[in-house]
Amino acid sequence: MSSIALLGNPNTGKTSLFNTLTSSYEYVGNWAGVTVEKKVGDLKNGAGTLIDLPGIYSLHPLSRDEGVATQYLLEESPEALVNIVDASQLERNLLLTVQLLEYGRPTVIGLNMIDVAKARGIKVHPDVLQTRLGINVLPLVARTGKGTSQVLSMLENSANIPAVTFKLDYGIIVEQAVSSIEQELSHIADLPDHRWVALQFLEQNPVIMQFLKDRTDINQLLAIRENCQNELQNKKLALTLPQWIRSIRTDYIRSICKDALDTSGIKPHNLTERLDSILTNRFLGLPLFLAFMYVLFKTTFEWVGAPLSDLLDGLISGPISSGTTSFLDTVGASEFIHALIVDGIIGGVGGVIVFVPQIFILFLIISFVEDSGYMARVSLVMDSIMERMGLNGKAFIPFIIGFGCNVPAIMAARSIEQPKDRMLTTLLLPLMSCSARLPVYLLFAAVFFPQNQAAVIMTMYALGIVFALLLCKIFSKYLFKNESSVFVIELPPYRMPQLKSLSRNTWEKGKGFLRKAGSIILAGSVIIWVMSYAGPTGFNVDMNNSFLAKFGGLVAPLLQPLGFGNWQAGSTLVPGFLAKEVVVSTMNIIYHAPETAGLQAQIAQTFTPLSSVSFMAFILLYTPCLATVGVIKKETASWKWTLFSIGYAVALAYVVSLVIYQGGRLLGWA
Amino acid sequence: MIASACCHLLQLQPGSAGAIQEIQDMNPILRRRLADLGVSEGCTVCLKGKGPFLGPVMLECNGQLLAIRRKEASKIVVNVS
Repeated sequence: MSSIALLGNPNTGKTSLFNTLTSSYEYVGNWAGVTVEKKVGDLKNGAGTLIDLPGIYSLHPLSRDEGVATQYLLEESPEALVNIVDASQLERNLLLTVQLLEYGRPTVIGLNMIDVAKARGIKVHPDVLQTRLGINVLPLVARTGKGTSQVLSMLENSANIPAVTFKLDYGIIVEQAVSSIEQELSHIADLPDHRWVALQFLEQNPVIMQFLKDRTDINQLLAIRENCQNELQNKKLALTLPQWIRSIRTDYIRSICKDALDTSGIKPHNLTERLDSILTNRFLGLPLFLAFMYVLFKTTFEWVGAPLSDLLDGLISGPISSGTTSFLDTVGASEFIHALIVDGIIGGVGGVIVFVPQIFILFLIISFVEDSGYMARVSLVMDSIMERMGLNGKAFIPFIIGFGCNVPAIMAARSIEQPKDRMLTTLLLPLMSCSARLPVYLLFAAVFFPQNQAAVIMTMYALGIVFALLLCKIFSKYLFKNESSVFVIELPPYRMPQLKSLSRNTWEKGKGFLRKAGSIILAGSVIIWVMSYAGPTGFNVDMNNSFLAKFGGLVAPLLQPLGFGNWQAGSTLVPGFLAKEVVVSTMNIIYHAPETAGLQAQIAQTFTPLSSVSFMAFILLYTPCLATVGVIKKETASWKWTLFSIGYAVALAYVVSLVIYQGGRLLGWA
Repeated sequence: MIASACCHLLQLQPGSAGAIQEIQDMNPILRRRLADLGVSEGCTVCLKGKGPFLGPVMLECNGQLLAIRRKEASKIVVNVS
């Protein structure tokens, strides 16, 4: 079994190729930074494993996701590399190629997006590239799969991929420094190609420096580097060593491009420019984005989501529920089993499954934004607002992903360059209302605000964003001392998302929700039901005397000032921490509602419109769920920040709900 | 036009281009990222448009579209011929 690494610039179609070459599926999108972790898949022909690495412009990382690729090359030793090169951006892409060739492993170039290049009037000659670089160059279109079978057969036997003979001359001064460093490195075991390590060290690659520091005393190496740079400066060749190395590479690449590239017929990005002149227009950009969000919510909650959800509800409360009941009667199940299955499982899990249509539509629209290229524009449009709040527009990409689920959103923050911006984004992300909170709003909005459901739900989302922005300002000022943020983003050409990848991406995201329904929500429902069925006096007690009521009653006094100081509301909050969908499951079980309409009637008795708003706001803000806490801990690598993210959320939720409820009462809304 | 004139990027008319002459004291992270995207001394950039509320400006360089903030764009000195 051999392992082959897939490398290339961001947004060049690595993951698309990965999906066609392996039997696994990872999600794709049209912006830089979709892949933030290395992904491993088995090659379809069984020849080994393929490793998809985050996109990088060079091996010298700026953001955390980029460090993953360099780390990988240092610590693992792949048998071969596949370098994806965007044919429409050849010059920029080859800068990485040169560094990969210096790594010295057998390499194949996948010349991707030849269709895009052709449409723009750019002609690339793969044969010229092949002779000049001395490795195989395979033209392909990864998105449609054209040419990928050649790549696959090439990887069939990685031992047959010819060795790389590439060597670029960096001039006598640098070459001397390289050989002295190579000598110093000779006693270190398990090092990749020494020339590659030496050059990366001279370029001041922080990952390489750390790696060497852990293994040897690098003072001698630093001295060599210092001398080399001084000599370049004395001879007025370059200001810094990295600049010199870069300019040698750039000259070399330009000389290749002169032969391999014909841009005489180049055409401007017509469609993209026309769309951008509207979508990022200085006056229209923001209103259009807001209008888009409005349509997103309207479609999800009213136009399409609600009718589908009603159909599903009818199915679960009707045929499925009564079918199960009659089945259990026929097999003579005990009363306990009967109640467990019908009230506990169908009530608890079914109560959440009802909202599958809304959640899938939301995921579908998010996938569309990701795949079309609009995502990068949103960050452009939002940047000036975000800058005033102490963050940058790029943070808005994770924010939008967070509407689906906070966990991948926090991972997506890795592609933000500045550590401070990344930390702020991670801390604030739980305020983005994820799809798990959606069922709570849908339920309450239907009971208390049947005429304005979409408006009420949108207010909740807006509330999350507004608090994220306000806290961002505060955190940035007091916790990060107003360190300035930077903003630079690539704007990929727009493209029409393909139905195949759109449905695939939606399914991959939605699958997680269904899996949760079958695991944590199921387990939560069973536990909650048992707690409601059993009490200090035995089984099948009146629910007001159950363990659940006792437990909820402990929390209730604290919630009294917020307007929902009953044990029923109190007992939903703790299981809600495991997964916020469980809040609705718990309510279904507590109120013993066979179908949504019944539950709504029950809720109307314990809540008022005002306390329902207070409750929704509390659920929105009160704490990141368990999975999110886990990923915050992983990404911040600090318990302090993780506990902080929980702590501020609880405090914020309490204060906001208090203000809503008490303020509303003062205004006489009750 | 006979002589070439120097100005900073923001002073360009939207839709017009210039060759980068100098990038003055810019945040090192940003400078590196711009170089990664092919924006460095000597190459031609075109100012495509300006975003809302004094927001970022959109540039094109080597057929690549990108956006940076105005403050940063004003640090890029271009030569218009």
